[in-house]
Amino acid sequence: MSAALGPERPQVVAHAQQALSYTVFDCKWVPRSARLLCLGSAARGTGVVQLYELHGARLELLREIEKPKPIKCGTFGATSLQQRYLATGDFDGNLNIWNLEAPEIPVYSVKGHKEIINSIDGVGGLGIGEGAPEIVTGSRDGTVKVWDPRQNDTPVANMEPVQGESKRDCWTVAFGNAYNQEERVVCAGYDNGDIKLFDLKTMSLRWETNIKNGVCSVEFDRKDINMNKLVATSLEGKFHVFDMRTQHPTKGFASVSEKAQKSTIWQVRHLPQNRDIFMTSGGSGSLHLWKYEYPAQRSKKDSEGSEMGVAGSLSLLQNVTLSTQPISSLDWSPDKKGLCVCGAFDQTVRVLIVTKLNKI
Amino acid sequence: MPVWLREHSWRQTLSAVYLSLPLRGARATPANIFCSEQYLKVSIPPFLFEAILYAPIDDTNSTAKIGNGNIFFTLYKKEPAMWDSLTLANADKEKLQDLRENAVLKAHEKAKEETEAKKITKQENKKYALEATMKLEEAERKRIEDLKEKERQKVTKELELWKNQQKDGDKYKSMQKKGALHEEIEPLKQRKNEKINKTQIPNEGTSKTRLKSTKGCDGSCSIFSQNLKEELLPAPRAAATIKVNFTPRVFPTALRESRVPEEEEWLHKQAEARRIINSDLSELEDLKEEEKNPDWLKDKGNKMFAMGDYLGAVNAYNLAVKLNSKLPVLYLNRAACHLKLRNLHKAIEDSSKALELLTPPVPDNENARVKAHVRRGTAFCQLELYTEGLQDYEAALKIDPRNKNIEKDAEKIRHLIQGTVQSS
Repeated sequence: MSAALGPERPQVVAHAQQALSYTVFDCKWVPRSARLLCLGSAARGTGVVQLYELHGARLELLREIEKPKPIKCGTFGATSLQQRYLATGDFDGNLNIWNLEAPEIPVYSVKGHKEIINSIDGVGGLGIGEGAPEIVTGSRDGTVKVWDPRQNDTPVANMEPVQGESKRDCWTVAFGNAYNQEERVVCAGYDNGDIKLFDLKTMSLRWETNIKNGVCSVEFDRKDINMNKLVATSLEGKFHVFDMRTQHPTKGFASVSEKAQKSTIWQVRHLPQNRDIFMTSGGSGSLHLWKYEYPAQRSKKDSEGSEMGVAGSLSLLQNVTLSTQPISSLDWSPDKKGLCVCGAFDQTVRVLIVTKLNKI
Repeated sequence: MPVWLREHSWRQTLSAVYLSLPLRGARATPANIFCSEQYLKVSIPPFLFEAILYAPIDDTNSTAKIGNGNIFFTLYKKEPAMWDSLTLANADKEKLQDLRENAVLKAHEKAKEETEAKKITKQENKKYALEATMKLEEAERKRIEDLKEKERQKVTKELELWKNQQKDGDKYKSMQKKGALHEEIEPLKQRKNEKINKTQIPNEGTSKTRLKSTKGCDGSCSIFSQNLKEELLPAPRAAATIKVNFTPRVFPTALRESRVPEEEEWLHKQAEARRIINSDLSELEDLKEEEKNPDWLKDKGNKMFAMGDYLGAVNAYNLAVKLNSKLPVLYLNRAACHLKLRNLHKAIEDSSKALELLTPPVPDNENARVKAHVRRGTAFCQLELYTEGLQDYEAALKIDPRNKNIEKDAEKIRHLIQGTVQSS
């Protein structure tokens, strides 16, 4: 693992920060703007949504919305660019889609799960990819449900434990492989180290594995292409990068793993403008910027003649420690390369700029 | 009694006195010379020279030169005046004493002052060095900060530019849309209504071509093409459920690699405990409360052994072992019973098990270990495995060398072995 040389290394510049009076669980850029959203839980047990605008080196609060239940996660992934509705999952298991111009009544609402929705993802919106807009939620009740905003009350797909099986918490979900109207996969990570890949076209389990540590975050490098790479981060400072192009019948997908920090790696986010660069955020308040290098040959034949993937290598481009508390959420701006926002458990949201990404 | 040096010679000028003191063969070092304002002493045992000077001198600047068998003093007078004589003439003993003491005190004080001054200069030097290094480091840090600031400002400017671009872009688009709306709203609305009727059937192939035709318009048609696209989206998926199996995990907490060994140990212990309880439940439901206590059973066993009921004792010990398999004393006592019952192999097994449980070997379990070794040794001998028996007896002796019985038995066995060796 080698770091990029000297003065050409990308630098992480702290651009602006804002102290908040609540615990922030998720922060997201509003697409096509310099505005960002912070979602969280106030001390009195209510949910908070704050909309900020970036003005020079400070964040200006535009709107503050309070909701009855604390909000854990949100996504813009399933709405159109005109509407820009926010889908949120809250501590009570409710999935709501809000129009931020008129946030009193949700556009769509369903009590999707019996327990907190830990993670949410959306696909099919924002002019990216094709197919129906869908939202997937993963919850502590062990189920992963896929929702279509046009269909009320029932999910279009439900991945639940077999009858009688004791459930494991689902900690993270991600969409992928949405390169045409029919194909979709959902990847879910659980607290017992299981990673499961569900194919929504065939409505079946396509692949599963166990990475020996609870899975904190999974993300495909791009949602709207033939699935290329999947990064899964876990407790104990480890993360795995799976090469998803070649699936071996028994061995599954090839992977390379890295142990970077001693603490939990809370999030992984790929740079929207370059799918081989991603940032991981850690429980020690640090951010690591990584680059994946492909191997000379991405697949090879094994002894029986079936195709087997070959994993590449990782190099650490930069790392920086911003806080003493875990950085629990991270989002790259889809419009400006290198601009990202991160929210940490020290009740601060920070806007960072990563420089020199063009030279990689 | 010191030998006084009296053959000194001196001369003076207005400001200085020059004194020459021959040393009569003695070797002088600076340590032998003591000088204060009005008192001069040279002491090279056994020689001594002392002088109470006529008037005070400046002792810091005065010098003494040692060489050629004499000391040459250059004393600078405090007040330039001609002295009548080198020393004060009428000096009685008391005055001498006082002067001497004062002189010594003064010298001490001076020495103290000098050390103080030295310390202060040392500290100041250190401070200066520290400040210099701090300045250097500050400069370095500032340089790095400046670089970072420059980078930051560059990036901030770019960001502002981009933001303004976005804003302008948005304004332009919205204006365009408004304009387009006013101009083209009527005919397009017509077309749209037609298309709505046709697109109720979600037919993928034809919908795509229709999409292309609308895309042919320029940007001002964007909203409308978007709306059309929305209606051309595939219907929501047919609902389905996928059943999921999880990798089994006993604990409700998340899996952490570093905790796995601890968890295994805990589970193992739980399994052990459960095994014992289970065996209890199945066979011993009809027993009384006290009969489930291993200690009570051990006592019962001991009593039966004392009365000669060896089988009964074995039963009692068996039950106790089932309840708690980790008490070495149970195995020890059962071994003794087996010996009496001539179940020699069982006796050996039990003594071995007892010894296993009696690790680590500490003074506390000495007695128990001795007994175990002796019993096992006896069993071996009764099986005619004399060498093994001897080994056990010697082990017992090692633990407790003072036991005469063991020694006697060990001797007997040795004779037996030698006897068999000779005869074979």
